Order: sequence, then structure tokens, then C-alpha cells
Amino acid sequence: MTELLQNLLLGLLLGGVYALAASGLTLIFGVMRVINIAHGAYLILASFITYWLWDSFGIDPLLAIVITTPIVFALGWVTYKVVVSPIRTAPMASTVLLTFGLALVVEGAMGEIWGNNSTAIRPSYADESFIMGGLFLPKAQVYGGLIAVVVLVLLWGVLTKTWLGRAIRAAATNPSSAELVGIKVSAVAALVFALGIAAAGAGGAITGVLYPFVPGSHYQWIARLLAIVVLGGLGSLNGAVLGAIMFGLAETLTSAYVSPSWATAVPYAIVFLVLLIRPQGLLGTRLREDAVAA
Amino acid sequence: MNASTEAVTPAPSRPWLQPIWLGRAVALAAGVLLVVYPMVSDDIYYQNMIILSLIFAVGASGLNIISGFAGYISLGQGAFLGLGGYTIGVLAVRFPDASPWLWVPLGGVVAAGVALILGFVSLRSSGPAFVIITVAFLFLVQVIAVNWVSLTNGTTGLTLPLPTWDRDIMNWPFYYVLVAILALQLLMTWWIRRTKLGMGLIAIREDETKAATIGINLPVQKIVAFMASALFVGMAGAVYGYYLTFIDPRGMFSILISVQLILSMLIGGKATLWGPVIGAFLVEWLNEMANNDWGGGNTRLFLFGGLLVVVVIFLPKGIIPAIESVLSWRRTKGKAGLVGARIGTGGSLASITDRVQLVDRSEIPDRALLEVRDLKRHFGGVKAVDGASFTVPEGSITGLIGPNGSGKTTLFNLIDDTIRAESGEILLDGRRIDGLRSWQRAHLGLGRTFQITRLFREMTVLENVVAVQRRFSIAQLGRIAVSGAEAKAAEELLEFVGMRAFRDQQARALSYGQQKLVELAQILMLDPKLILLDEPAGGINPVLIERMGEMIRELNSYGKTFLIVEHNMPFVLGLCDPIHVLARGRTMASGTPEEIQRDPAVIDAYLGDDFVLEEKVAP
Repeated sequence: MTELLQNLLLGLLLGGVYALAASGLTLIFGVMRVINIAHGAYLILASFITYWLWDSFGIDPLLAIVITTPIVFALGWVTYKVVVSPIRTAPMASTVLLTFGLALVVEGAMGEIWGNNSTAIRPSYADESFIMGGLFLPKAQVYGGLIAVVVLVLLWGVLTKTWLGRAIRAAATNPSSAELVGIKVSAVAALVFALGIAAAGAGGAITGVLYPFVPGSHYQWIARLLAIVVLGGLGSLNGAVLGAIMFGLAETLTSAYVSPSWATAVPYAIVFLVLLIRPQGLLGTRLREDAVAA
Repeated sequence: MNASTEAVTPAPSRPWLQPIWLGRAVALAAGVLLVVYPMVSDDIYYQNMIILSLIFAVGASGLNIISGFAGYISLGQGAFLGLGGYTIGVLAVRFPDASPWLWVPLGGVVAAGVALILGFVSLRSSGPAFVIITVAFLFLVQVIAVNWVSLTNGTTGLTLPLPTWDRDIMNWPFYYVLVAILALQLLMTWWIRRTKLGMGLIAIREDETKAATIGINLPVQKIVAFMASALFVGMAGAVYGYYLTFIDPRGMFSILISVQLILSMLIGGKATLWGPVIGAFLVEWLNEMANNDWGGGNTRLFLFGGLLVVVVIFLPKGIIPAIESVLSWRRTKGKAGLVGARIGTGGSLASITDRVQLVDRSEIPDRALLEVRDLKRHFGGVKAVDGASFTVPEGSITGLIGPNGSGKTTLFNLIDDTIRAESGEILLDGRRIDGLRSWQRAHLGLGRTFQITRLFREMTVLENVVAVQRRFSIAQLGRIAVSGAEAKAAEELLEFVGMRAFRDQQARALSYGQQKLVELAQILMLDPKLILLDEPAGGINPVLIERMGEMIRELNSYGKTFLIVEHNMPFVLGLCDPIHVLARGRTMASGTPEEIQRDPAVIDAYLGDDFVLEEKVAP
């Protein structure tokens, strides 16, 4: 019983981290209709930057989020300006290919800089746990989960409570009308892309502490993140959070109670099945298909 | 045809210097070079590079069928090479006495069988969701190969028996078998491009919903295409496995192989015959350079990733289409385009031999050809169609009018299954069709044009018309569409609408009015009993409106029944009888043009008070 409770709690904390990492992916899709396959690569990049800050300067990896996130935000903004904006109006399948190419380039760059060996960030509390009434909760997971929730709430606040958030939602709903009421859609798009990448960066700073990583880990991450956002409904932030929590729980429970060797197949199987059975996901909505777009 | 058309396409004085013949000469020379190369040179480095290029050329050319023709971009194509490799690996280890070459065709069959599954997936998803599914599919196959240890030996991999033939001709068998497989693959691609199947696939790429309304059976087409795209690739994969003599999940199902295949296709030019082949040789050459001269591993990632980004942004069409467009620009430089030419005066239906069967009007029974009963479709709170009921008498030209947003186009969409109705019944010729799919309705005699024309933009005018499938059978998918009887029937119909001179123009180059005419010829190719026209007179000039009216009357005199949505009241009142008026998704009035004009409810809802006044003033 205690073991189950412990696994549920860990699953929820992990879900929080996943939700943060996936929120950027769903945000970028919601506003720009771009499925950013490079999302996982930026997440791993943030893990490497965190590692570098910790290894070279001794900065606590979880506190380093305040440095990592702005760096990744800037990289996201540059990426948008240089490669994504030229093809914003291209068919979605092209943007998938483009961002996939981007992921490969980032993977190659990380391999050049940090090498292809497994890297782990191990702060002093890496092996410590909180012990409460028979529950063992690793400190890194607790801190990471809580930080993820805080960042996610901040992001949610920006999107729902500020003028910027309203502009983003307006641009997402109808770009040309948003332009007419004075919103510079191209600037909003750049900002959203950078913000989405930054969210992945914040997530990557945390996951870097939780799991060891190599440049090639990004495939695993993009599969996980896609499974989450596809499950929740592409473009829906609430859906991503719901999908992430379900996924975090499922993954923790599977690795605890079922053989872990097949666990790698879980995200791919989820993507496969959800897109087949309910393509709009749990909270996604289908658009009116016959509205004339000419 | 008129003089201005002929000025644009003068008879070539030296046909051998035309680009098509130059292209064929280059292809022939390259083919000969490929065949004699191993006999004149024993440079293993280049032989190896060509063997790998041939494998990737088969892979990219197969990919071209689903991604280039049908538009379903797949990042899982590498899986079929891997499946072929594993087929030969598993069987060669189990049966060490048999020659591994025996298993090569089986590799193709296994790949095609698995492609069948991916084909079923494509029935439910498209666009980016499909790309993601193909990646998931590739990784899933890889995970299975890792975990199904009893069959695949897991991550340890399988080692095949070494070739037993003379060391002097070490690579020859691999080399020539691959040349043969590539030749078969290209022959198949060339053939598909000319058949109903190929036309249907391109139509699916251009506009899938529209393709269904002209009788293209989407599931069968796509599944056949997926299997065709994997068959020879699986065989090439088997040769690849034998050539490497070692197979493991990491190498066989690497995502980079899929990336290399898609890059080859994109760089060379999708939907072209030779593009994927040229691309494959180019990309493999770069790949070898990256591996051997530029540092390997990470450089390969930079190369493939960077190329993908650059190609998507700067060379979306690929090398061959880019060359073609430069050539055609040079050829037509300074000459007037055909699109500005006058539309032909049009032909008579009497000269049409194949489609549009003549029916004696006196034999037309007095009954409803189309009957719609209590049809409903809501979009959230919007009740677009809310209990519409009406009939279209056989042999009539029935009008459907109503204010904007009254549900006319949605009603059309429900009748031809572009959107599925929530409830209600649709009967065509006394038969319930509301449970049938678009193409089945088309085969029963329903043809429909769209308010905003939906021609297949990248296809020529003729191809647009021959893409139509009047009935369905597997055999007719293999019929040649671009020449012969089908093309002749299409040309006759184009002559009838006055667009024959434009047969080789791409549909996207046509003006809106020209597109309307081609769309009419297109659905006539179905030889439909009932023709639904959505605003045939909208957005075109008065002369063309008159011509449109004439054609509708002539077709009607041959027994075709029409249902027309139109806002041009003189056009509707002069042509249609009866007329139904739609408001808020329901039929609010029906009757002759005279009755409709006097109906106070119709005047209030749609025509407006001044409409009748104008009519009174006119005489």
C-alpha cells in the first residue's frame, strides 16, 4: 500500500515535469500549427547547459534554471527568425521535416561539444530522500516536480492574465483578424516559439538532474512529449497537463510493476493508437471542416 | 482551335533536341555506364558506394509513390529496408543450406505485408499526424526487433553466411541484382504514373475530399500504393542485409536511413521518375564523404539535418522540377501565355462518343431522382442544416436558393458525403445513399462541382479530367489514363466546354472561369445522372454565364438532371423549375419561378422588397 502511494506520488511529480516540457510543444502548435520535432533536442540541450554550469562553475543545477531558461529562450528566438519563419505558410508536413532536420543539427552540435557519452548531473542531494511515514521520496524528484509546477503556473498566468497572453490567443484563433486589431502576428509567433522552447529548456534543466542523458536521448524525449500532447489534444495546454500527469503515472507504475524492457515502446504505442482512435486527443476539439478558407 | 493557341506550341523542327529526348539520352547513357562499370573498374570503394546508392535509390523511389504521388510524407520508409534485411537474416540463419538469394523476393513480400498495416493507418490520419505516426511506427518496429530475441537475436544481431562465389567478382551479384530491382522499381513507378491508380494518387495528394467526390476509392488506392511503395524496397533491403552480412536493430532501423531516403526524394524532385534516383546517388556520395573525409558521426547529423532544413526552405520542389521550370521559362520567354487565350466556342454534345449517354426525354419517368428527407447537421451550436427536405424530379433543372449561411453548400456537402449527415435520409434513384461514401455515391451517378473550384492544382487540365473513376474495380486501376480511350473521352468533354486547347496547362494557371469549365468537364466524365452545381454563374463574366446556361440546357435535353445553388436570380429564374428556398437550414418554400417570386415569405427572407419592383419596372 505504502509502495503504491509512493509510486503514485512520484508519478504525479514526474507528470509535473513532463507537463512543463510538453507545454511548449502544444503552445507552439496551438499558435503556429508547427509541430516542433526539435523540442526534445532543445530539452537535452538545456540539460547539457545545466551540466556545464554545474560542472564548470558549481552552480546548483536546479537553481541554474534561472540562467538556462533565458539562454534557451534566446536560442529559440534565433531559431525561429532564421529557419522557421521562412516557411511559416508551408504545408505542415514540411515544417515537420524542417524541425526534424533542426533536431539532427542540434544533436550533432551537442555531440561535437560534449561528446556522445552518457552524462549525469549529480548534485549533493542526488542520493538523499525525504522520509515521511514509510514513504521514500528522492529529494531531486520532489524539488524538480515542485519547480516544474511553479514555472508552469507562471506560464499559465502569462497566457491567461496578461495582454501578451490575449494577443497570443488572438493570433492563434485568427491571425489576419489579430493583425487587423493591431497585433503584430510575426512578433507574437517569434515570442511564442521562444517561450515554448524556453519551457522545454526549464524542463530539460530538471530532467537532466533526474536522468542521465546523451545527445541521442532527444528521440526518446520527443516521442514522450508527442505522446503526451497527442494524448491531451494538440494545441490544448490543459490537455497537455492532463496527458502529462497520466503519462507520468503510467510510466512510473509500468516500470515499478511491469517489465521495463518493453517500457520504451509505450510512448510510440500511445501515439500510434491515439492518432488512430481519437485523433483530436482527450481535450482537443475538431474544427468545422467545411468552412471556406479562401 | 484558334490561332493564338497554335502560336504558343509550334511544331518542333528538331524533335531530337527537345528536353524530353535529351533527358532520355542522358538516362540511357547513365544506365549503360552503370551496367558496364564493375567490368571496367575494380575499385571497391566506388563499387560499394554505387551498391549503397542503388539500395537507397530503390528506397527513395518506393517512397516517392506514397510521398511524392499520394502526398503522405513518411519518415518510416527505412523500416521496409530493415524488414527485408531481417527476413533474409532470420531465414538464412534458420536454413543454412539454402541459398540466401531465395529469400530476397520474400523480403519484398514481408515488407509489403507490413506496409498494408501502415496503409490502414493512413486511412485515419494525414498530414503531420501521419508523419509522426510513421516515426512511431519505425521505432516500434525497432523495439520489437530488440525484444523479440528468439527470432531476431535482439541487440546482438544476426550474422549471415558469407558469400561463396569467386572473390574476383565479389560484388557483382549484389550489384547486378540491385540494378535489376531498381529497373523493376522504376518501371513500376513509370507505369503507375500513367494509370488511373497514379492519377488517383496525385488527386489524393492535391485534395483528398475532392478526389473522393469524383469516384476515387480512397482506402483501396492508398493501401495499394503503400504496398507498391514497399515491395521492391523490401527486396533491396534483403540484398542490403546479405551484402552487409550482419544485421542488428540499431543499424537496420536507424531513423537516419529514413532521413536519407526522404532527402534523396526531396533533393531529386518528388513525383518525378528519375528525381529520387539522382537524389539517392547524390546524398549517398555526400554521406560517404561525411563518414570518411569529414569526421563521421556528428558530421553526418549536421549534413543530413542541415540538408533537410536547407532543402525544405530553398529547394522545396527538388532538382528535376527546378531544371524543368528553367527550361520551360526559356522556351516560353517573350511569348504570350496560353491562359490569356480565348476560351473555345465549345462543341456540341452530339459529337461525344463515349460519355454522356443520350436519353430520350419522353422516356424519363415522372419521379424524384433525388429525395432528401429531414436531413440534419449541426456544428456545435450552429444548425447549418436543420431538417431540410425536398425532391429533385428526374429530368429537371432544380434550383436551390437562400440567403448566405442558410445551409446550401453544407446541404451539398451532406448529399455527396463531403460531410457526413447526423440524421435524415438521402435517396438517389430510389436507393438510400446516406450510408455510402463519396466515391460510392459518385459511382451511382452523383456529380458535384464546388463553389470555390477545387481542381487538382498541380495536374494538367487533361489529367484533372482523366483522374475521374466512373466505377470501381482493381483491374481498372491499372488502365492507362493519360492516353488511349480515357484521354479521348476527356478531350471530347473538354471540347464541349471549350477548354480543349488548354489540355496540357496546369490547373493552377487557369483563371477562375476556366476552372469552372474544367470542373464541369471533370464531373461529366463520371457520366452522372444528377449534377449538383454550386454557384455555376458566380464570379464569371456575362458571356460565360450565358454559355454556362446553354450547356446546362443542352445537357438537360440529353436527360441530365441538375440541382443548382445560385445567387444570380435572373439566371436561376430563367433556368430552374422547380425552385426550393432554403432558410436556417430548412426548406421554407418550393414551387415554380413565378410562385417563388410572389411568395411573401421568400421576399422577406431572401429576395427583398425591391426585387419585385425592379421586375415590374423592367418591361
